[in-house]
Amino acid sequence: MRDRDMKQHRAILVDDYVHGRIGRRDFLRKAAVLGLGAGILGSGIARPGGQLISSALAQDLRPSEEVLKWVKDVSSPFRGTTLKLATESTPPSNAIKDRLKPFFEEASGMKVEIEVLPLEQVLQKMTLDIASQLGTYDLYYIDQSWAASVSQDVFDPREQIADNPDLAMPNYQIEDFLPALVDGIAKYEDRWVGVPYDIPIFIMMYRKDIWERMGFEAPGTLEEYYEQAKAITDEMGPDVYGATGQMKSGHYSLECDWTAWLWGHGGSIFGPDGKFAGNDERGLEAMEYWTRLVKTMPPGVHGWTWDGQGQSVAQGVAASMMSWGEFFPYFDDPDETKVSGLMEAVRCPPPKRALRTVNQTGYGEIPGVAHQGGSSLAVSKNSKNPDPAWIFMQWATSYDTQVLITALGGGTGPTRASVYDDERIIANRRVGPGTTRHLDVVRESIAKDMGSEPDLPQWAELSNDTIPVRLGKYFAGDYGSVKEAMDDITEAVDEIVEG
Amino acid sequence: MPWLAPLVAMLVVFTIYPLIYNVWLSFHEYAPLKRSLVYVGAENWITLFGDERFWSALSVTLSYFIVLLVVQLVLGMLIALLLDSDIAGFGVLRGLLSLTLVIPPAITGMMFLLIEDPEFGVLTFVLDILGVLDSTTPILATSSTALLGIMLADIWQWTPFMVLIFIAGLRSLPQEPNEAAMLDGASALQILRRITLPMMSKVIAVAVLIRGIDLLRAFDYMFVMTSGGPGTSTYTLSLYAWQQTFSFIKWGYGATISLVGLVIVLLLANLFIYFTRVRW
Amino acid sequence: MIVETAATRRTRIVLAWLVTGLFVFPLYYWVTTAFKSSKDIFNIPPSVWQFSPTLKNFEEVFGISFGYLQRQEVGMGGGDFYMTPRLIDSIVVALGSTALAIVISTMAAYSLSRMDFSGRHHFVNWILSTRMMPPVAVAIPMFFLYKDIGLMDTHLGIIIIHALMNLPLAVLLLKSFFDDVPREIDESAIIDGATRWTIFRRIILPVASGGIAATAVLCFIFSWTEFIFVLTLTQTGLKTVPVVSSSFVTSTGTAWGNMAALGAASMAPAFIFILLVQKQLVRGLTLGSLKQ
Repeated sequence: MRDRDMKQHRAILVDDYVHGRIGRRDFLRKAAVLGLGAGILGSGIARPGGQLISSALAQDLRPSEEVLKWVKDVSSPFRGTTLKLATESTPPSNAIKDRLKPFFEEASGMKVEIEVLPLEQVLQKMTLDIASQLGTYDLYYIDQSWAASVSQDVFDPREQIADNPDLAMPNYQIEDFLPALVDGIAKYEDRWVGVPYDIPIFIMMYRKDIWERMGFEAPGTLEEYYEQAKAITDEMGPDVYGATGQMKSGHYSLECDWTAWLWGHGGSIFGPDGKFAGNDERGLEAMEYWTRLVKTMPPGVHGWTWDGQGQSVAQGVAASMMSWGEFFPYFDDPDETKVSGLMEAVRCPPPKRALRTVNQTGYGEIPGVAHQGGSSLAVSKNSKNPDPAWIFMQWATSYDTQVLITALGGGTGPTRASVYDDERIIANRRVGPGTTRHLDVVRESIAKDMGSEPDLPQWAELSNDTIPVRLGKYFAGDYGSVKEAMDDITEAVDEIVEG
Repeated sequence: MPWLAPLVAMLVVFTIYPLIYNVWLSFHEYAPLKRSLVYVGAENWITLFGDERFWSALSVTLSYFIVLLVVQLVLGMLIALLLDSDIAGFGVLRGLLSLTLVIPPAITGMMFLLIEDPEFGVLTFVLDILGVLDSTTPILATSSTALLGIMLADIWQWTPFMVLIFIAGLRSLPQEPNEAAMLDGASALQILRRITLPMMSKVIAVAVLIRGIDLLRAFDYMFVMTSGGPGTSTYTLSLYAWQQTFSFIKWGYGATISLVGLVIVLLLANLFIYFTRVRW
Repeated sequence: MIVETAATRRTRIVLAWLVTGLFVFPLYYWVTTAFKSSKDIFNIPPSVWQFSPTLKNFEEVFGISFGYLQRQEVGMGGGDFYMTPRLIDSIVVALGSTALAIVISTMAAYSLSRMDFSGRHHFVNWILSTRMMPPVAVAIPMFFLYKDIGLMDTHLGIIIIHALMNLPLAVLLLKSFFDDVPREIDESAIIDGATRWTIFRRIILPVASGGIAATAVLCFIFSWTEFIFVLTLTQTGLKTVPVVSSSFVTSTGTAWGNMAALGAASMAPAFIFILLVQKQLVRGLTLGSLKQ
């Protein structure tokens, strides 16, 4: 049995047990065959209604004494400092804010204030802070689409390590960050805009039960995915739709969906000449595909960001989504969703033809079916406490902390290679909230499928407004044809880029 | 007059200073590379008049203003006439209506976002059953209905405000003219048109003024419900200015848009005060 | 009163309850959402009357335990939806700004009510016109001003800006209440040798106390519901309820139940105030367009 199949069987088995389809004895016998140690039982699988993670496990998940000792020692000159950070409400930020921050505060004697806001507001606060050179935030949470705009306003972590060896965390291992993520999220030209902090990335998540009932395999091509989605919508709609989307007009999420289909058809946002390339033959083909696919989605997609999209799957309205892998652990939570244990994660279908390479695109755009929406964490150059902020940043992005973030149920993909192999993470591969059973797919997607948006200072405006506003108009029927819509986008984008 | 001094001092800080600052700002623009403001002359003003999105925001703002003012005025008056009675329990009804006023508009927006959700929303469900709108037309994601979806939240929140004002007005009217007219055999409708409404004119004027000012500055609902979409169909001047200022750090252009917004409100409000002869 | 027949009276009662019901329904739906789990919130068709009630959302938002919340790990959007301090921020800001606005505006309104000077009408119009400034236009200048004088991200800063925002309406409103107090009272007191200040404190304030209470409630409500200034002028120091509600919008979905719990709980203080001064409030809403 191949490794991957084995994992799948385990997941199904665990799922059957959790849903009461097989008895405990049966489960243990089969589990042994699949090499699933009895230990996994202790790590918190329970029947619905019971407690989902045993508190014993949660208590075991404490920061290592070694790390805390380093924090304590290195922070001694900075006791009493207050650090401020504005972040989107993402799993890692929440895990730090709720669970892990007290450990850091106790050891360091510093106070960390984390302001949690929706992404748009985080970015507004950050740009205002930069523009006014206020220095009210010591650390910035930087969505990758903004990396270019702020690259001159934050410290390069490699320089911080080199310039200040006394403050460098032993075994921080900056090279442990997945190289693909460093390239795609943190790097702008030759600078590192902080280190990769979280990595939501597109994976294919689908309802195993529905797929089985329809006699389908996981989609092997984009075209097959469309056929399957259409068949499901035809068969089960309007109760269940085959696919779903995050297509709120004028919202960044709509641009994210667009790039996935664009790249998937071998297209790119920019050409090597720096001009908009989304309206070339491949771009139009992608739009045509997308227009067809939208018909298999719930009508609500035009008003949803990732929020509504995730809920449509969680509540059983949509049978699949090619979107942020972060949602997977949430889907497995039987308290919150109707699909716990029913979801399966696989890589996105391969692109229709060979992807363009970085040389065939503009501004460092890296085409790939798996759109990434990662963020980096960096110390602001406007900060009045750059050294304490750097200590916090190292701690927050260290191996030990990242393991805890992932194991505490955040379920977001770790940005460090070593975290994927940690036994505490592997132990969480069971059906239930905060599962990590999708992380192998995430890791593979990062390595093989990842697509990254271009880096240019105007990108924030283009991706948050220019493109999604016009795509929204297209889907609302305001243009006569796809071509007309894409021509309009071309004109608007080129005008902004040329400034 | 020392009694007025604190008020005048605070209002100067609150209005004169921002006003001058905005005028100054509208001739400058933030330069990202220099990290500072640079003088750009009249460029922002020139851009503004050729900016399609500005005109679209202006027309959205004005239609929002006109439609809601009329709807809230008429609906408010009708409900006020309905509730202006001493029948047992009507006091409770008036109390219940005033509940909508204490909810922050930003939360009202979220509330209606849930109610109007195309899959899970209770309104969508009801409209679907009634056959008004089937679930393939998501209210807030369709250009033609998005503004209506937002208006619904505004109507819900502010019609009771009008109702309460009008009831107060109705209750303070002298009864004699009504009674005299009834003895003369006038119908209820005639009494309303000839006697009640004219006597209520000042109350109505004040209500229109206060509501009108707020409607022209509408922001909270679209900010949380649609962020201006789909396309540009729910961008008001305030929201467009906000976006330019805070999302794109175009402070100068944002200020220019805001100033136009201010001029429009000032103009309309003062014309209104002049023609209706509202005296304080 | 127009004489009603029994039939019109019945129609009127039915219609009145029906209309009010329509307005109350969204509130009912929102408040019950606070007692629902995600499954019930996202049920299709929407579960309006039937759902399994839970206090989980309130437990998370107010950090109290009724035994519904058992999970150890971080759930959707994290467990930290603890909002009690934010509710306190809201109350502090609303009370503080109301007090400030009332002190300044009673003085100003009294003088406007008693002094006749040419252009008074225009002066009052000018006061009203300060309310016409779009908040977005005020936000940026205030941001820089606050940064320079250290009011950024402080309770005091928000109290001041909310008081400023409420002054125009408060002055207009109070002026109308003071206008109702006959000038003869002032004049006879002056003959008795009282100073303006004594008259103001001993006579005008007590006589107009109902009106002042109504004005205070309006100021409280406007501060309680204000959004843009708190959004732009605060960071981590404080947040009021309308702004903090957006922190329930997370990267993996909106925590509607928690948001509704906060929304439901935050209605209570403002509503209590409304009930206390309902009569004056309703008259206050007419902004002095009625003369008694």
